[in-house]
Amino acid sequence: MPTVDNATAKTLNELGVNDAQGVAEIFAEVRARFDRQVALDTDGIRNLMLQQAWLGSDRDPVTSLRNFWLGRKAGVLTLITENWLKRSPPSLKGVIGKQFNELKSHIETKLAEQRKRIEEKTEAAALTREQVDLSLPGVIHPIGSHHLIRQVFQEIEDIFFSIGFSVVEGPEIETPYYNFEALNIPEFHPVRDDMDTFYIDLPEGAPTPLLLRTHTSPMQIRTMEKQKPPVRVIVPGKVYRRDNPDATHSFMFHQVEGLAVDTDITFCDFTGTIEYFVKQFFGAGVKTRFRPSYFPFTEPSVEFDVSCIFCGGSGAAAGGGVCSKCKGAGWIELFGAGMVDPAVYGFVNYDAKKVSGFAFGMGIDRLAMLRYGIDDIQVFFQNDVRFLKQFP
Amino acid sequence: MKVVYNWLKDFVDLTAPPQELASRLALSGTNVGSVENGPHGAVIDAEVGSNRPDCLGHYGIAREVAAIYKLALKHVSLKPAESAAKAGDAIKVEIQSPELCGRFTARVIRNVKIQPSPKWLKDRLEASGVASISNVVDISNYVMLELGHALHTFDYDKVRDHKIVVRKAKPSEKIRTLDGVERQLDSGMCMICDGDGSRTVGIGGIMGGAETEISFSTKNVLIECAWFDPIAIRRATRFLKLHTEASTRFGRGADPEMAELASRRCAELILQLAGGELLAGVVDVYPGKRVPKKIRVTRAEILRVMGADVPDKQIEASLTALGFAPVRIDHNRGAEGSLLATWECTQPSWRAEVEREIDLIEEIARIYGLEKFPPRLPAARQGASRLPHHEAETRLRERLIGLGYREIVTIPHVAEERDALFRPAGVLPARLSNPLSEEAGVLKSTGIVTMAAALEWNLNHGQRNARLFEIGRHYRLEGNQSLETRVLTLGATGEAREKGLYDSAREFSFADLKGDLDAIGQLVGSGHDARGFDWHDGGTDWLHAAKRGKMSIAKTELGVAGQLARRVADRLKLRQDVFFAELELDALYAAIKAAKTSRRYEPLPRFPAVERDFSLLLADGITFAQIVESIRSLNIPEITSIETVDLFRGKNVPAGKVSLLIRVTFQSREATLMDAQINHFVGKVISILEHRHGAQLRAS
Repeated sequence: MPTVDNATAKTLNELGVNDAQGVAEIFAEVRARFDRQVALDTDGIRNLMLQQAWLGSDRDPVTSLRNFWLGRKAGVLTLITENWLKRSPPSLKGVIGKQFNELKSHIETKLAEQRKRIEEKTEAAALTREQVDLSLPGVIHPIGSHHLIRQVFQEIEDIFFSIGFSVVEGPEIETPYYNFEALNIPEFHPVRDDMDTFYIDLPEGAPTPLLLRTHTSPMQIRTMEKQKPPVRVIVPGKVYRRDNPDATHSFMFHQVEGLAVDTDITFCDFTGTIEYFVKQFFGAGVKTRFRPSYFPFTEPSVEFDVSCIFCGGSGAAAGGGVCSKCKGAGWIELFGAGMVDPAVYGFVNYDAKKVSGFAFGMGIDRLAMLRYGIDDIQVFFQNDVRFLKQFP
Repeated sequence: MKVVYNWLKDFVDLTAPPQELASRLALSGTNVGSVENGPHGAVIDAEVGSNRPDCLGHYGIAREVAAIYKLALKHVSLKPAESAAKAGDAIKVEIQSPELCGRFTARVIRNVKIQPSPKWLKDRLEASGVASISNVVDISNYVMLELGHALHTFDYDKVRDHKIVVRKAKPSEKIRTLDGVERQLDSGMCMICDGDGSRTVGIGGIMGGAETEISFSTKNVLIECAWFDPIAIRRATRFLKLHTEASTRFGRGADPEMAELASRRCAELILQLAGGELLAGVVDVYPGKRVPKKIRVTRAEILRVMGADVPDKQIEASLTALGFAPVRIDHNRGAEGSLLATWECTQPSWRAEVEREIDLIEEIARIYGLEKFPPRLPAARQGASRLPHHEAETRLRERLIGLGYREIVTIPHVAEERDALFRPAGVLPARLSNPLSEEAGVLKSTGIVTMAAALEWNLNHGQRNARLFEIGRHYRLEGNQSLETRVLTLGATGEAREKGLYDSAREFSFADLKGDLDAIGQLVGSGHDARGFDWHDGGTDWLHAAKRGKMSIAKTELGVAGQLARRVADRLKLRQDVFFAELELDALYAAIKAAKTSRRYEPLPRFPAVERDFSLLLADGITFAQIVESIRSLNIPEITSIETVDLFRGKNVPAGKVSLLIRVTFQSREATLMDAQINHFVGKVISILEHRHGAQLRAS
């Protein structure tokens, strides 16, 4: 039996094929040979192509196989067209043409399938090679953070801003007038004993002493001096009390003052505003209560409590015993507040008969400590990077 | 004030258990610290407000209890048996300073037997936290805890001439008080003296003297029960740094009417427990007698302040129970709930601080219950505004955090020597006249002081990589005025980039700091020239002389930046390079705002850009800015940027020279640039650099 190589170099007549039967047989033989070749693995194809001198060492064997069969100049099908189809008697041309088309279609399909198979295999290999290890860290660019006190300030500011409170700031170094007198705390008032005050060392003969404000309340006076009602402001800032530092005391801490004065502000508006704030800040489930208290610049004055956020107000610790945060009371004292004392209006030329309002002053450090379970106030001001990183 | 539960039962028929009572007291204005069950029954630790001296005794608390539970308060009416001899013959009292001492009562009891107190008295004192001494001394403490009024007992026989003179202290006068301490007096103080008034036997309302105190040999007792001016008492206690049970009560304003009653109660108990005979009557000098004030309260005002109504019955019951004796005086008398309702009240002697309508409203509200006023959210009347610099600060913060800086918050109190290290010459610091310690004696005059401390803390705690910022203030004085300036302070040390899987480590350098600041500077720049700060040589002397600079916008100085000078770093024991910057924020915020206002869109170029590199050999000392300036002076509008991409000294570069690779970008808004045009520009660039700076073009 002649090989295909030889066979395609010759005419069918030369091969002794003269009838349809012969044509079919020889085409079947070519097809069988193709099928054997296309079934080889990549290395097999490479060897075959080298043997046929059809492949340079760096060429892709699959492409070579394709060219060997379908190449336009010297591919097997081209040779068949030239030597068998064109040079056969007209009576056989129809049969040969049909066989040729079937063969061509078969080869193209098989080669396409082969290519797809190989590509899938290559891709799978590449994926295995390139698979990322998700447990490895990514490239992290250093990123900063807001201080926790600032984050809490911002949150409180946003809550009050949303209900119409403007934000103002004031000096930390104050005069006794704004810090005490205009807030209805005359000299030798007992409340001054609770607000041990830092004074600034001024040159001899200074007209007014200067002190570090003991609360943000001086801004109540400064605001009302500048502005007629309606007033609705909050004042974030640093305040100072001359207490020896320990886990719950710092001689500098932070407050947010609030003040609302208008022609129709009542105690109900006051408690409503505070409740709104607390539910936004601690969550809707928190319970609130107001206890009568005393501050010289508010009347009625209250202390404001929330149900303990650690024991849910039960006063009992989860593991038995008494809740350590509220000491079994079920309530945590948050801050002092009240209706602005009419005496204060006298200092800012407001008509106490026509206007009314409320004021509050909340300690931010304490709120942050409560909410995040911080047990030492000093940690806020040491600024250890390991602390700062905990509040991104 | 320790409130002994069973003691209250002497005055009200109390049935509520102690815990419930404590809670009701707390919700009506008597703050409760704790409730403890001791051997003598429950003791409520009441934190009595400084406005409620009347609650510094069980009788006063009982009045609150009576008001809360609508119980009757039992009256204290006493008629101790008296002898025929008159007190007025046995003791004389003269008040020379009625402004300090408004009332002085004296009673005398003869032939008492000083001995230990009986158990019931000891028990009550112990429950109240007071040590028992002897019957007469214990009785004066007992009466004080019961009625809230402080008394003093003298050994009658030690009082010279049996005469008491109340006068102001003389300058440089001294007294040895009961506690054995010799005390220097001040001229505003009220002194109790004897005889001709030359010898002091007590500091009025604060503490008795040692020379006339009761001892176990005392036979005859003089009971002093007086009233002293609260402000004078507070002034004196502050001067003496001496706070006593008596000074607390007088300092907050005791009840002058109670003085005589408390004296009588004291006499009664002495007769009961120490025997003896009580001389008839009382010596009562009362120059400060007050006419009770009348105060009106109206329903209209209650509604205006509280926002919800309180029923007439509640108003009247509360005010009556508290002793205000309300009387309806309006024309609608008898009409329940009338909007015109007005009550006239009489100020009780024990509530001197209740003077105004609002004070009565508070009383009504607290007894009625604050929870009965329904909370509501008031409607906003006007738009709310943020701080004027809010937006600028927010933009700044975003940048800083994006650049990897963590915010710190510091206490501005620092040590003088630390502040002095960084304080600019001529700046007057804000020193404290009463600091807690020298370490915290002055307010920082620059933010660098506390930033350095924060870096130091981190280095000392094993955190060697830190990039920190603070938006705070520094504090200075200008004459008698304080000056608080908003500043941004940056501090950085350690690695700019830590070693990881993909990158090698790199130490933070001046270039990092400058790049970070220029990133902030972009906020004040505009268009393609976004580097907003102008940099100048110089800075402060605590910065490294070769690695520092000053920043400005237009002509406004903003601040300084650089590496900390080694000598200062050594002083602070910082063992690695640290970098600082401080910017004045008001100027920066103003510039950020102005840049935002003037910023406009610049259409994107439609034609390609062409880059040309110039490898220059320059003499050391010629700055990049000079090169840029020269190229810009050519006024070629097609030059859109001038950057430097490489800087090299050393190998293949002669000493005293530097190799600088400049990249110039050409781009036209009208057309694609032709080679010929670009070559023409390039020629001009080379020519001016050669001509002006002696630049040599290296083959690249």
